[in-house]
Amino acid sequence: MDFFRWDIIWDYRELYLSGFLTTIILTICGYIGGVIFGLLLGLGQVSNKKWIYWPAKIYIDVFRGTPMLVQLLLIHLAVIPTIFGESMSWWVSGIVGLILNSAAYNAEIFRAGIQSIDKGQMEAARSLGLTHSQAMKKVILPQAFRRMIPPLGNEFIALLKDSSLVTVIAGMEILYVSKVVAGTYQRFWEPYLFAAFLYLVLTYTATKIIAIVEKRVDINYNPRKKRGAHK
Amino acid sequence: MKKNKLFKLIAPFAAATMILAACGADKGSTGSSTDGDGDGDGEITKIVAGTEATYAPFEYLDTKGNVVGLDAEILAAIGEEMGIETEMKNTGWDAMLSQVTTGGIDMGAAAITITDDRKETYDFTAPYYEASLLIVTKEDSEIESLADLKDSKIAVQMNTTGHKAAQDLQGKASKNILAYENFSVALTEVLNGSTEAAIGDNAVILEYIKNNPDAGLKTIEDDSFEVDYFGFIVKKGNKELLDVLNEGLAKIKENGKLAEITGTEIE
Repeated sequence: MDFFRWDIIWDYRELYLSGFLTTIILTICGYIGGVIFGLLLGLGQVSNKKWIYWPAKIYIDVFRGTPMLVQLLLIHLAVIPTIFGESMSWWVSGIVGLILNSAAYNAEIFRAGIQSIDKGQMEAARSLGLTHSQAMKKVILPQAFRRMIPPLGNEFIALLKDSSLVTVIAGMEILYVSKVVAGTYQRFWEPYLFAAFLYLVLTYTATKIIAIVEKRVDINYNPRKKRGAHK
Repeated sequence: MKKNKLFKLIAPFAAATMILAACGADKGSTGSSTDGDGDGDGEITKIVAGTEATYAPFEYLDTKGNVVGLDAEILAAIGEEMGIETEMKNTGWDAMLSQVTTGGIDMGAAAITITDDRKETYDFTAPYYEASLLIVTKEDSEIESLADLKDSKIAVQMNTTGHKAAQDLQGKASKNILAYENFSVALTEVLNGSTEAAIGDNAVILEYIKNNPDAGLKTIEDDSFEVDYFGFIVKKGNKELLDVLNEGLAKIKENGKLAEITGTEIE
């Protein structure tokens, strides 16, 4: 018996490819939705209006305080069937679950980013005649955004890995395929090691892209520094 | 002062840990008593079986967290007959399969279908239950046979014979096969209408329908399903344990105890 039987991975290459793409699509859709919804929640967290602040606060606490696994099962098997009369495909439940969960984490990133900008910036902008929302849009957010890039990048990587939880609602991503292969052949090294490798490829690529974005938005970045030109 | 503060922080966790530990203490040693490699000459005094307790009526957890069900009753009957202590441990399916080989448990008892593939990795006892697959759909469904499900969405439990049957029908890479961690989720998906049908073992489906007569589900038998036999698994080559189990199984077949537990006869 061969120690590693890569042929069993090769047999399932079609499923692995579709699982790989599924993981990417789930993560990107979940992330984009999570950033947009998270921004709204984050702005709610810095609002002075209580009726905006409290619902956002409660939402964030609930979604950060419960496991995503439980959220996914609840959404897929209970919430969606109750609202629509029948359950929807795991695509819908999976993406909705990822969006709702990551929004709560992103909201905290946005809140912290906004609050990290010195109060004087808002006061100065207001004294120049800008309204609160104008000042937020033109002065505070652009500055805060740069500081949010690293934690938002972290959140993307976390979401990429968490997308494997969609497996419990039969979401056919990388882990799902690996479980099928492991169960079919009763071999655990090859399928799970290959799954780990695929996730590593994805997170490594994402890390590289995030690093490029970080450099792009860093106004202090000096390309000459990299060459060791500083004296 | 600092220490005192730290203690206050840790105290609730420590208390919770101690309470949990106390709850678990009455279970005693859960270690395996046979060495598992089959060459031990010490007599077997205790058998620890792994299982996946989400499969009523074969194995499920009672309100106290004990594994109960047909498999547990059969194993207990064998133990009684042979004068051996037996224990069922809820390890989960994959962990059960790997721990039978790597140690930690002595055997697997989880409505395991005897297949040639599995025989390559494990040794099976004689069969103790005859099972066949059933299709379950909503009462108003137009499905009448397995062939009608060629292009439909089918819910199954991952890596069971039902999953295999669905793969044989639609192909390995079919996107219409939705495999869940346990069969109750697969049934829920039929009830919720996201899949047309589920394929699973007769005993489980009939048990569910018996408990939920108003669910609006019907079952369909199909001759193209093969009949399956369930057996217990032990590590390949562990003849000592296999002999004990087979001897006990033969005795409870003989005295009618097995038929009494499962409600069916088996040759």
